[in-house]
Amino acid sequence: MAKRCPLFWSVVAGILVLVPLSAQAGTPTERVKETTDKIIAILTEADLKGQPEKKRSLIRKAADEIFDWEEMSRRSLGPHWRKLSEEERKTFVGLFSRLLDRTYMERVEDYSGEKVFYVGENVDGDYASVEMKVLTSKNVEIPVVNKLKKNGGKWMIYDVSIEGVSLVNNYRSQFNSILSKSSFSELLEKLREKVS
Amino acid sequence: MRKLDIEFTVGLFLIAGIICLGYLSIKLGRMEVLGGEGYDVYGFFSNSGGLKKGSSVMIAGVEVGRIKDISLEDYQARVVMNITEGIKIQEDAIASIKTRGLIGEKFVEITPGAAEETVPPGGRIRETQPPIDIEQVISKYVFGKVE
Repeated sequence: MAKRCPLFWSVVAGILVLVPLSAQAGTPTERVKETTDKIIAILTEADLKGQPEKKRSLIRKAADEIFDWEEMSRRSLGPHWRKLSEEERKTFVGLFSRLLDRTYMERVEDYSGEKVFYVGENVDGDYASVEMKVLTSKNVEIPVVNKLKKNGGKWMIYDVSIEGVSLVNNYRSQFNSILSKSSFSELLEKLREKVS
Repeated sequence: MRKLDIEFTVGLFLIAGIICLGYLSIKLGRMEVLGGEGYDVYGFFSNSGGLKKGSSVMIAGVEVGRIKDISLEDYQARVVMNITEGIKIQEDAIASIKTRGLIGEKFVEITPGAAEETVPPGGRIRETQPPIDIEQVISKYVFGKVE
């Protein structure tokens, strides 16, 4: 039968390939939940108790799956990004993601059983926002809004707002202020000092 | 003849006075009688925090426009801003509501983005940040919740 209707079987094969691909795409909330659950699992994994470096590298790998570091760096530099060469942009993205790693990894490691609730999702074309609430041990609810953009068919986070304060906006103001007084290479130096 | 002259002059001064009064009212009332210049853009804020029509829109501390209208849409504040002609706003610019001065006057600050594309007239500023109630945030973290 296969020899008689190759078209039919290639269509079936095509569908079989496409179905798991679309399932992988995932809604924005599913994507955020997947990574958050992964990271919490890494943090609470008993087997990794005495291996902080291994924990960190696993967390970084999980974060790399959902954070669009280049988009975050681009938005944080704002109009200054356009004046940079490809090389300078690459350097900046590398340093900026290391800065974020340095700044937030410790706080992530301080995880002590906080629960995460998914409040709502809003999709508008290639953009989406996922609202979550983090419930601390002191019963304080921290509202977190993840902003996502489709990159190559996958939802990736480009900004996080905690208590209404946007990460990108925060760094944008600071970089803008620094670049009004110093050169770009001086900014890179400053970042290098911070991450070393 | 003289009486007519005097009456005419008084009438003239009266008209001049009314015109000046009208001009002052329009300027102070921030009305745009002679056809508004600039173009409109809008943004959604989870909370407009006391922003008013006529409040300033600033970039780098410079006034580039005014708030034209604020309405409730889908339980969010839809804020329409009229921006001076020639000022371009990038697609990834962020509009935040901030407080200025002792009186606590609210205004919108726009931080320029990296995108090549700009928000067209009638377009939307996607990235917004509501005003931050500092006391509320501090008390939340210092004192925690009741339950």
